Amino acid sequence: MVEATTLIEALELNAARRPERGIHLIDGRGRAGEGRRYPDLLTSFQAAAARLATHGVRRREPMLVALPTSREFIEYWVGGLFHGALPVAMAPVGSAGALAVHLQKLDDVRTRIGAGTVVCSESLRDEARAAGLEELAGACVTAAELDALTPRPDWKAHRAEPDEIAFLQLTSGSTGRQRAVQISHRSALHNARGIDETIGHPLGGPASEVLQSIVSWLPLNHDMGLIGCLFLSLIHGFDLWLMQPKSFLARPLWWLKHLGEHGPTLAEAPNFAFQLCVERVDPEAARDLDLSNWRAAMTGAEMVRPETIDAFCERFGPVGFRPETFRPCYGLAEATLAVTVDGVARGARTLSAPAGTDHGFGLTDIVSVGQPLPDTEVGIFAADGTRVRDGSIGEISVKGPSIFSGYYNDPEASAECLVDGWLRTGDLGFLDSGELYITGRTKDLIIVNGNNLMPHELERIAENASEGGGSRRSAAFSIADGADGERVVLAVEVSETDADRLATIEREVRLGVGHTVSVPLADVVFVRRGRLSKTTSGKVQRNRVRQQYLDGKLERLTVSVPAPTAVEDRDTPQ
Amino acid sequence: MSKQDDALALLAEISGHPAAEIDREKDLVADLGLDSPKTLRFLVDLEEKLDVEISDEDAAKMSTVGDILDYLVTTG
Repeated sequence: MVEATTLIEALELNAARRPERGIHLIDGRGRAGEGRRYPDLLTSFQAAAARLATHGVRRREPMLVALPTSREFIEYWVGGLFHGALPVAMAPVGSAGALAVHLQKLDDVRTRIGAGTVVCSESLRDEARAAGLEELAGACVTAAELDALTPRPDWKAHRAEPDEIAFLQLTSGSTGRQRAVQISHRSALHNARGIDETIGHPLGGPASEVLQSIVSWLPLNHDMGLIGCLFLSLIHGFDLWLMQPKSFLARPLWWLKHLGEHGPTLAEAPNFAFQLCVERVDPEAARDLDLSNWRAAMTGAEMVRPETIDAFCERFGPVGFRPETFRPCYGLAEATLAVTVDGVARGARTLSAPAGTDHGFGLTDIVSVGQPLPDTEVGIFAADGTRVRDGSIGEISVKGPSIFSGYYNDPEASAECLVDGWLRTGDLGFLDSGELYITGRTKDLIIVNGNNLMPHELERIAENASEGGGSRRSAAFSIADGADGERVVLAVEVSETDADRLATIEREVRLGVGHTVSVPLADVVFVRRGRLSKTTSGKVQRNRVRQQYLDGKLERLTVSVPAPTAVEDRDTPQ
Repeated sequence: MSKQDDALALLAEISGHPAAEIDREKDLVADLGLDSPKTLRFLVDLEEKLDVEISDEDAAKMSTVGDILDYLVTTG
């Protein structure tokens, strides 16, 4: 068999090899539409590429795609790839007051990576204009406008080199800090092949030979959705059943129903999705499910919790779900997607948490996230840069063909995490018998519902809230909340002690965080100035503050009770 | 029940806050504690119940209970 060396070749080969399979979109009521087969999709990718050429998108130029999961997203994102542009998917707009922040982020990313084109909806462009973001609105083009263009007649598919950058993946992060991960054709193909082989191995062959379909609700800007679902299908020829993230979050039952209906199936999701199914799927409705064809359930992108795995197996075992279907994994966008995957399929295996495990995650047992993908090496390093022996905790580092070549236009950030050919992940863990176990993080990252949040983004909100003027100091960190995963706490230094004033600040902090990242805060703790632990250089030590919070040693400010008259003054009807 | 009553009943159910406490000023995330799965569940429930479609951009503009009630008025 001819081996493809670029994603474009892989898609062409797949359309010839699996002409009967394709992509099926599930609508907002949970029903599957007609679907389009790979040969037809291939033609549409080429046409989309030729229309992007007509529109003036240049080769090697980043091109933002800010669309929900849809025909248009798939056509223009992959079309951009065929054209030789660098497609970049933007996260869909959040809900509940998140529009303003979303537009700002989009404009910021556009400027930073120099994207001349933003493919988006008509209403997004209108909102950009209404917000006074004229340059952003000017860069916007709708899929309908592109559809109406005549493909440039002299257009030819880009003949890419394997080591050329194929596309960019945005890391999560605050305004001004989002980084674009450069992924080459070689890395993307290597990662997808590694997943196909490792998932399929215990089932008797590559997953794409043994299984038929993938059912996914993951957003396509997320590495697990883009690489693990869309590209795995486009390259290896699964039938892909794709639903909106919104549909799953509102109706998890629909995901499970489709998982039972399309032959032997693979699905991937973060831990919280399995927890959501346990909590939200009505046991009565679950009785009609048949999950016996669900052969592999990859769980990763956040801490894999044994209690979630157990609860899911118990709830859905009676309708055919088998414990060995769970395949824990670990990865990050800088490694294309997967670093390790459970290639044994004998059910989740745990070890009791060793000394040094981060208590903040509330783990007593740690799930193995499997072995490194083929040609991939995982090393555990101590803080002084030496490798530690098996069983000892250190920073997880990765080497192999799936590792990214750096952040786009950001050599400094690239040099920080690519050291001597190793990708320093910022995650902590240990190896035992060749399997990886995750115990915490060195990087100050918070993961809620599979979304990565940067603490400094939340802290900036706290420091500026209610005329703070950025002079306050604060620490954002996460705490474990049992099966619910991580919850966010903000500790804020204030000079004020008046209860009313503190209530105002707290409310502004909660509103600011809510409208920026759509996350309710578990707690806002006010402390006296100077009480948050800092390094000698004055940097707040989030991990120490969190430990003090967990140990009950973070001294909450005793507020002064306002005089009764003040209360009456305030208490006028609105 | 009016559309507004339907919306308030759904908010009470999903947020776990008694309906009587849910006034126009309440913020969905900061006051009612709706994270994104809960907010999306509310939107999809509302779309189904009222047989309307709420665009992502419209949904992203609603931050308070009042925003939702006003939106339902403008959509007739």
